[in-house]
Amino acid sequence: MPPRDAGYAYAAYVAAALIYAGYALSIWWRWRRVARRSTRGPGAP
Amino acid sequence: MGATSNVGVAGHGAGGAGGGAGAPARDESAPPGRDRAPTSAPRPFGALFWTAVAAVGVTYVRALAFTPVEALQGPAQKIFYLHAPAAFTALYLAFALMAISSVLYLWLRDPKLDRVAACSAEVGLAFTTVVLITGPLWAKPVWGTWWSGDARLTATLFLWLIILGYLVMRQAVEDRELRARYSAVLAILAGLLVPFIHLTVYLFRTLHPQPIVLKPSAPSMPAEMAVTFALAFVAFALLFVALLRARYRLALAAEAREEADGSGGPN
Repeated sequence: MPPRDAGYAYAAYVAAALIYAGYALSIWWRWRRVARRSTRGPGAP
Repeated sequence: MGATSNVGVAGHGAGGAGGGAGAPARDESAPPGRDRAPTSAPRPFGALFWTAVAAVGVTYVRALAFTPVEALQGPAQKIFYLHAPAAFTALYLAFALMAISSVLYLWLRDPKLDRVAACSAEVGLAFTTVVLITGPLWAKPVWGTWWSGDARLTATLFLWLIILGYLVMRQAVEDRELRARYSAVLAILAGLLVPFIHLTVYLFRTLHPQPIVLKPSAPSMPAEMAVTFALAFVAFALLFVALLRARYRLALAAEAREEADGSGGPN
């Protein structure tokens, strides 16, 4: 009798989406931080 | 994974895809209040990224709604369409590229190769995280346990830890050339784990199934499942390329910023 619970599959699909989206957001956030520092000029924190 | 990782290079003034790494050229045309690009490097995400997101979305819909449920494992088998493409992408694209770029770096000393290796390692870590999360979610309903501790699972976890250590080490070493050289050696050693992980299911007794796609004979799955798997593989490979390109652009922008500050330390 195969396991009928689809909850594990849904959990896996949500978890994967969160990981990929979180990583993409981290790239965007870091790029934005570099861009902001650059607009303030050399030596800015 | 989401932490700022150093992908600095072993030399100054190296150009690369998407823009050079010289002093920042302000984009004075940008409206006030909006971020302006720090260099001539473009924004990290473009049409390729959104194409990859659309492809992954189509894969999700097809896998969950239009692919038959497997007779023995039930709905949990649908995790296959996430787990296997993430593993293929991490092992055979990301970490292979990381290891090859590192070998070439030690030979040619081109900073671009070090940058590609570091970016590929970071993106590969994200994909391996997906493998290590979705694997136990598949194992629990099918094997009855979250984690079996066999050779393939353990070796994959070791590889994840080594790549994490690689990225942490890049933050710790400030000298660019030393950092690139140490990183290349560690990346090559980590890359040696990839063929070992592939062969673990043949070499050791394991709960993990034998390959059903990457094997000498034809893939052993029905056509509908094979099409979904092929779509998933293409979608996640595309996502890898898009994330790698975005991470590379971030590295270029961060290096340009470093050089404008006159610092060579971790970004």
